[in-house]
Amino acid sequence: MTDQLGALTTIFTEFYYWITVVLMFLIHVGFCMYEVGASRYKHHQHTLMKNTMLIPLVTVTWFLFGWWIYWAFPTGPGIAPSIMNESTALITDETLFSAMWQVPTSDIMAVNLGDHINGVFWAAFLLFSWTAASIVSGAIIERITTFAFGILAIAIGSVFWTIDAAWGWHFDGWMLKILGYHDAYASGVIHAIAGGFALGVLMVLGPRIGKFSSSGEPRNIGPRNPWLVTIGLFLIYTGFWGFYAACNIPIFDLGPEYGMEGISYWTATNIYVTPTTLSGITFNFLMSLSGGLLAGYWIAKGDPFWTYSSGLAGIICASAGNDLYHPIQSMIIGMIGVVLSYKLHYFVERKFKIDDAVGAVAVHGYAGFIGLVICGFVLNGYPSSGYSVGAMWDGTTYASINPLGMFLGAIIMFFVLGLIPGYIIAKVLHGMGKLRIPREAEIAGLDYEMMETAKSDEKAVASATR
Amino acid sequence: MATVTNWIDHLNKPAEEVAGAIYPGAGSSEGLLVILAIIIWIGWHVLTAKSESDELERLARKRHGPNDHKSNITDW
Repeated sequence: MTDQLGALTTIFTEFYYWITVVLMFLIHVGFCMYEVGASRYKHHQHTLMKNTMLIPLVTVTWFLFGWWIYWAFPTGPGIAPSIMNESTALITDETLFSAMWQVPTSDIMAVNLGDHINGVFWAAFLLFSWTAASIVSGAIIERITTFAFGILAIAIGSVFWTIDAAWGWHFDGWMLKILGYHDAYASGVIHAIAGGFALGVLMVLGPRIGKFSSSGEPRNIGPRNPWLVTIGLFLIYTGFWGFYAACNIPIFDLGPEYGMEGISYWTATNIYVTPTTLSGITFNFLMSLSGGLLAGYWIAKGDPFWTYSSGLAGIICASAGNDLYHPIQSMIIGMIGVVLSYKLHYFVERKFKIDDAVGAVAVHGYAGFIGLVICGFVLNGYPSSGYSVGAMWDGTTYASINPLGMFLGAIIMFFVLGLIPGYIIAKVLHGMGKLRIPREAEIAGLDYEMMETAKSDEKAVASATR
Repeated sequence: MATVTNWIDHLNKPAEEVAGAIYPGAGSSEGLLVILAIIIWIGWHVLTAKSESDELERLARKRHGPNDHKSNITDW
């Protein structure tokens, strides 16, 4: 940084991402409040600790290997060549955006006067990792061991979501080149995968005791504290706004980037380095939130729990294309996603006896999946990248966005990297006897001993005279 | 261990030398730090998994009913 303009751009970008990380922290605060509000009194404290401890577990593994995976895997490996070195191998050479700089022994994974971006960018992605793990956390409350959840959180937060991000949320990702995949604000790369993963775990974990009657009819286990759920969801909305900001590059000159000689074009871009505006995505964020709330209020007949969750589902469904949609398109897409997700939630619950305690599979998984499919139709023909436009399946250039590619992308996110790994890991943990808490502990309540100790402390204090 | 001992001297170096890591032990301690982190990380899992299993077994043995916890709700 030897000139003022360069310094201003660099420090602005560093500060921009730093602020997004702080805002996104609210997503996790919201998830914690939401989960505690949805759990029953006798499980509150364990529920809170389970979700809180994913912060250090995912952070440490994200530092050790998660961030490396994102930079190493855009080529597959072996599926489409990198535009940086034209190889289909893992990207571990000495090119600028190589994974070799993102190992924990690298000197840019620390305070380095030559780098002002790596740490804040690492942290922005890390907060996405927490979100992915936290989505799973809500669905499985009151009956999973904290140990098993920790392993599952690391798997989704530091391995599987980062593979999908390398494939479909990286300017060099093979899914852009071969499928024309487009997912600007993570309908698939965070939400569909985490929802699918949660469903895979739930298939093995089973329902809470009492959720289904002996004839198989589902019973409602309503939120213990609806006000905590409400505040939690408002905080998730707020943090989601920070997430939207974090998915952009705030200031970038696309002329030289695209090799256009003599042309300078400064703009904000999405994660794929194609132009958008913070102003435009603000329209779309709020209109898709509104579409979700409108549809949720209608279909759930004013039920607050589902109405708030539907606001979130509306944003999630429109997120894949919210860098380009018209605001009214965003609103309608949000509404469609909410209606279909709500119906699917109850269909799956009744048909397959799946107990998703907070509706996470529906709000994140189904809405994300549906959002990807709709995006393929609405943005059909747009380039998936600015670097070079080619035909689908070509692999050396970037395919245009198209319905088939987006459908296949949704399958990869929800099933291939979500449901199947979640199911397999849960099966292994189940086989080890480590997945589910004992039946007697579930009936008594995970907090029983803590509550008993608190009661005896209370009695001792109440009877004390000095 | 200090990588920088005088900021004026440090910033007066050629630009390519200024632009580098400044944490203690830069260039010599990273491998050891990573090994330490892995040991701490695995150790944490082992310790907490054992204590959680013990707690759940103890609780399961007592066979409390679904409403027994209500007698333990405090009025602090």
